[in-house]
Amino acid sequence: MRGVWHRDTVSWIIVSAMLPVVVAASLDLGFATMQRFGVALAVISFWQGVFLFTRAQPLSPIALVTAFAVAVLASGTTEMWQIVLAASFGTVIGEQIFGGWGRNVVNAGVVTLAFLYFAFPEVLHTGTGPLVAIAAGFGALLLLVMGVLSWRIAVAATMGLVLATFALGQDPAAPFLEGSLVFGLVFLIGDPVASASTRMGRWAYGALAGALVAIFGWADAGIDAPQAVVFATLLASLFAPLFDAAAVAVATRKWRGGHA
Amino acid sequence: MNIVIRHGLPLPVAGALPDGEFVPTRVPRIGLAGADYAGIRPEILVEAGQAVASGTPLFRDRKRPDIVVTSPSSGRIEKIEIGPQRRLSLLTIIPEGEDAVRSDLAAAGTPAGLRALMQKAGLWPALRSRPFDRIPAPDAEPAAVFVTAIDTRPHAPDPAVVLGGLEDSFARGVSALRLLTQGQVYVCQGDGVDLVEPQDRVSVVRFTGFHPAGLPGTHIARLHPATSSAPVWHINYQDVAALGQLLARGTADFSRSISLAGPGTQQPLLLRVPIGADLHALSRPQLTPGPKRILSGAILDGREAQFLSRYHLQASVVARVEPRARNWLIAALGRASAPAAFVPTAAVDRALGPDMPAVPLLRALSIGDADRAAQLGCLQLGEDDLALATYATGGETDFGARLRAVLDMLEAA
Repeated sequence: MRGVWHRDTVSWIIVSAMLPVVVAASLDLGFATMQRFGVALAVISFWQGVFLFTRAQPLSPIALVTAFAVAVLASGTTEMWQIVLAASFGTVIGEQIFGGWGRNVVNAGVVTLAFLYFAFPEVLHTGTGPLVAIAAGFGALLLLVMGVLSWRIAVAATMGLVLATFALGQDPAAPFLEGSLVFGLVFLIGDPVASASTRMGRWAYGALAGALVAIFGWADAGIDAPQAVVFATLLASLFAPLFDAAAVAVATRKWRGGHA
Repeated sequence: MNIVIRHGLPLPVAGALPDGEFVPTRVPRIGLAGADYAGIRPEILVEAGQAVASGTPLFRDRKRPDIVVTSPSSGRIEKIEIGPQRRLSLLTIIPEGEDAVRSDLAAAGTPAGLRALMQKAGLWPALRSRPFDRIPAPDAEPAAVFVTAIDTRPHAPDPAVVLGGLEDSFARGVSALRLLTQGQVYVCQGDGVDLVEPQDRVSVVRFTGFHPAGLPGTHIARLHPATSSAPVWHINYQDVAALGQLLARGTADFSRSISLAGPGTQQPLLLRVPIGADLHALSRPQLTPGPKRILSGAILDGREAQFLSRYHLQASVVARVEPRARNWLIAALGRASAPAAFVPTAAVDRALGPDMPAVPLLRALSIGDADRAAQLGCLQLGEDDLALATYATGGETDFGARLRAVLDMLEAA
């Protein structure tokens, strides 16, 4: 008897949660989004195929999610070779060399986007509007109901974002109208694999990620730019193992020393 | 004391067990599989063709000869199969007659006397010790004894119904268990009336909640965590009732009240059969058409076997799904070098009964990191505690087997 939460089933759940955003983003950003999505998907599938033949790592539908995250959050990239380069780096270094999705430390989409933002700083990326934000909200609901998105991370990230925005003297409601920010909050910060995995770790990870989004957004890139949420996720997921280690140390006090 | 277990998952299993009696049923063959006695390296005491009574010693441990496994029924030894490393593979008995070995109860009121009685009568293997979940050494002293009188597995018989009419035996057995330990005897039961009167060093604890709420690992981690220096023993309610009967009558009853259910049967049955009953013969008239797997144990944590295991109180029948014949290239591409990683979802967080960090523990088990797993609390657990984790991660990795490998590593260290 086996449950439904196999790795591939979970990735299909994330793909279906993304469908409303696909519609909204196509309306908002136009045909170029689909073009970027196609190129990124082809590149990621190629690398998955390479690792399938060389390392016997099965293909994963998570390629669809990574490719779409790149398409939405790298809205300004016109040169397709830039996407080819970044997606290759992101999927190989961020995911495949660790053994594929489920064993990675950072989200492959985040690595791809960070590579794009760093390597090609002259390209201007614009955010998306409230339509994408609403669609991502529906996706978040599905993920919460299915237990793929941790409610602790969702609540902690929202609280971290609101409190840090408040502390910086800005309007706490403004970030939730930015499509790319809400999208990143749900699908990048809420990524079940690259986020923290213990109860206390998730609270700390979510709060840090939310606060970093506000700080990067208001103080640096601009709250409407997609850079804030990507860099916040990158930094927060690097801290996630530390939070987990602390949470485990606290939670296992009662067993420790048991095995002499 | 009432304890609500907030973890656990509701399992989608159709059909309910019937009300009514457990029907005493004769079986054509009884089998004892060596896999049930994994910690024992047996010295066989009988030979094929020999007549045995219920309670006749069949084999004992080479290193600790006080650990004896006795015949669950009177009959004749059919065959003895020895596997690799001269371990017992299977011993089968054709039941006939009603002979039973009588035990001397004179010294049963003292701690040493009770131990000797349980060991001679073959009730010692009913006890299992954590950490490691093995039959305890004959002279070991537990810090506490847990009587598991609750079963939350799908289609498990209700302990309160099974113990109806056996209340005195059960109470006598619980009282006697106090002689084995200086510590507490915990009777863990479900909602309902107390199965025994609380008395000196006996506490009744009620557990409610979804599935792992009824597993000894959940109870032990919650009430009295086991350590290597202070091990904890557990025993199921039917063996406690058998101990009570042994103390009253001098003969041990090795019958089990079991359920035979699952999606492969026409209707669930309640049966009273000896330990090691031939499940193929019992289920044959009940099967629905098509190939089947017959499991000793629940759908969730059962093991495919012809004979009812020593530690299982139910049997399940599920459809046997043969892998589809696929194109050779697609089949080759799907054959991964490593099982797919699990994704930490809310189901994984709820899969372990004890309050321990589930995702780090499962990750440590899946890479076989014994030290880390011990630090995270795997010494509290047995293989059955991880069946739900295997279910909640899509069945890609058998975490019960991984836990056993890690426990063996820790035991040998």
